[in-house]
Amino acid sequence: MIRLEHISKIYDNDIVALDDINLIFAEGELVILKGVSGSGKSTILSLIAGLLKPTKGDVLVDKKHISKLPDHFCSQYRRDNIGFIFQKYNLIPTLSVVDNILLPLIPLNLDEKELHVKLESVMKMFSIVHKKDIIVKNLSGGEQQRTAIARANVNNPKIILADEPTANLDEKLSLEFIKILKELKSLNKTIIIATHDPLFFDLDFVDRIVEIHNGKLVCS
Amino acid sequence: MKKINFYLLEYAINYILRYKSKNIFISIVLTLLVAILASFFFVQNSLKLEFESTLDAQPQIIITNQKAGRDTTVDEKVIDKLLNINGVGDVVSRVWGYYDFSHMNAKFILVGIDEFENQDNATLASIAQNVDLNVSSMLVGQGVKKTLSNSYYRKYFNFILPDGESKKIYIAGTFKATTQFESNDMIVMNKDTLRNIFGYKKQEATDLAVTVNNPKEIASVILKIQNMYPTFKVVARKDLKTVLQSQFNTKSSLFLILFMVSLFTFFMIIYDKSSGLSSEEKKEIGILKAIGWRVEDVLKARFYEALILSFFSYIIGIIIALFFVYILNAPILKNIFIDYHTIENNFKLPFVLDYETLLLLFLLSVPVYLFATIIPSWRVATLDADEVIR
Repeated sequence: MIRLEHISKIYDNDIVALDDINLIFAEGELVILKGVSGSGKSTILSLIAGLLKPTKGDVLVDKKHISKLPDHFCSQYRRDNIGFIFQKYNLIPTLSVVDNILLPLIPLNLDEKELHVKLESVMKMFSIVHKKDIIVKNLSGGEQQRTAIARANVNNPKIILADEPTANLDEKLSLEFIKILKELKSLNKTIIIATHDPLFFDLDFVDRIVEIHNGKLVCS
Repeated sequence: MKKINFYLLEYAINYILRYKSKNIFISIVLTLLVAILASFFFVQNSLKLEFESTLDAQPQIIITNQKAGRDTTVDEKVIDKLLNINGVGDVVSRVWGYYDFSHMNAKFILVGIDEFENQDNATLASIAQNVDLNVSSMLVGQGVKKTLSNSYYRKYFNFILPDGESKKIYIAGTFKATTQFESNDMIVMNKDTLRNIFGYKKQEATDLAVTVNNPKEIASVILKIQNMYPTFKVVARKDLKTVLQSQFNTKSSLFLILFMVSLFTFFMIIYDKSSGLSSEEKKEIGILKAIGWRVEDVLKARFYEALILSFFSYIIGIIIALFFVYILNAPILKNIFIDYHTIENNFKLPFVLDYETLLLLFLLSVPVYLFATIIPSWRVATLDADEVIR
């Protein structure tokens, strides 16, 4: 379970991104964070992932105080629990598909067989196996997104965070992503999606929509 | 025991290849830097060895005569009196000096020998024993032969005597000395012929070489000689060695300072290139942090990358220096060190591989580069990943 308790985030340039937010995400829940650009959706995802520290309040994941973890443990927490799909994918453009997907596994120093199994299964699951040796910058937007999703899932995390996942995709590719999302939901993963794409608002498998406006919770 | 993370190593190699142009530039600069510095040290070590061997071939005590503070000739008549000093084993008169081959822009050492006299040096003793040098012939070192040949003196040379007349001396052959340093610019001829060239009278010598039976008595023998002949300048080999070595070291130090200045400039270029992380590189560190890499994982990858690059440059630099010094015979660099009498010194540098030098060069290149790479990466890796990737 993820709990955000009285979270405020003020950036260095005095911009208030979040103002006293309280939120709870249950295990296996699929939640849409809805709001216009700059409303604070992405900041919530970064706080849950431990990429940012709140100015005030606390983030608890399975009763662990994520916002108080030192950097070293924060990285370890991300590696073991979080799969982050970034808006611009944040892939390394000069590496191949398989090398990008492999990145989260490198520090684990797994044996070759185990590594191979993990890579193959995740590439098959997200239909990118046929492109595995292609350099990422030569892929289409949809293929890059599938690579990013595969990378986010290679460690089999229990929490998936997606920041504007369809912002750079056409309608056909967006629908493909929704199919993938349904599959991930069936695996009982906690999924939080920050988006303002209306495509997500009427999906029958979405558990809840949370609306944020100017860093404040509008409705949940 | 922790097993080596080969995936991290592979990632580091991949990283070097992905930022090819930057890393090729750094590698070339670092290789050149190591090669220049290593060549300097290799030449210095080789010359030091050659130099020490040459000095070891010098007599234990050398006596010169002085008049009004200037060197002048010694009369051979004093030899019998010197032989009477307790502890003196042998006294040999030496006739030698520099001759200016001005039109060839060179100065060579002329050494006179007498086949019936003892010689103070192994090379000369061997020549005196095996070659019959008549009054109009000479033996020349390899360097001399080359210089004379270049001026079309292949069979003889006309020496100018003090009275302005010329004396034709034929080249009887070349010789090989115990050190190449010695043989390079030396000409050996009959003692009387040389007296004639230098304008010495019969029984006049340039200096006297004294051998002492017990080396511990050298100091007391010097004192006795100085008491007997106050105008004589008496120098022990070890004092000569100290003076010449300090001259050599001063020269080396001067060049070392110059090298250090250029090295510093090179290091600045390398530091600038390796520490200035591009936005792409910074973003890559941010991505790695965001997907779960710890700061130490990022630094380990950068460490492998810097180690591979700098160690490769170090090895190539050493190989280039070995080739330059011991195969090409260190053109230009060698002559800078030598207080040469000839324009060219053609002798081959003896091979000396000093492990301390290799270690010093390693410490000057590899760890410096490691720090220059790791510190900026550490700075980026300790920032909030969110801040870096946004």
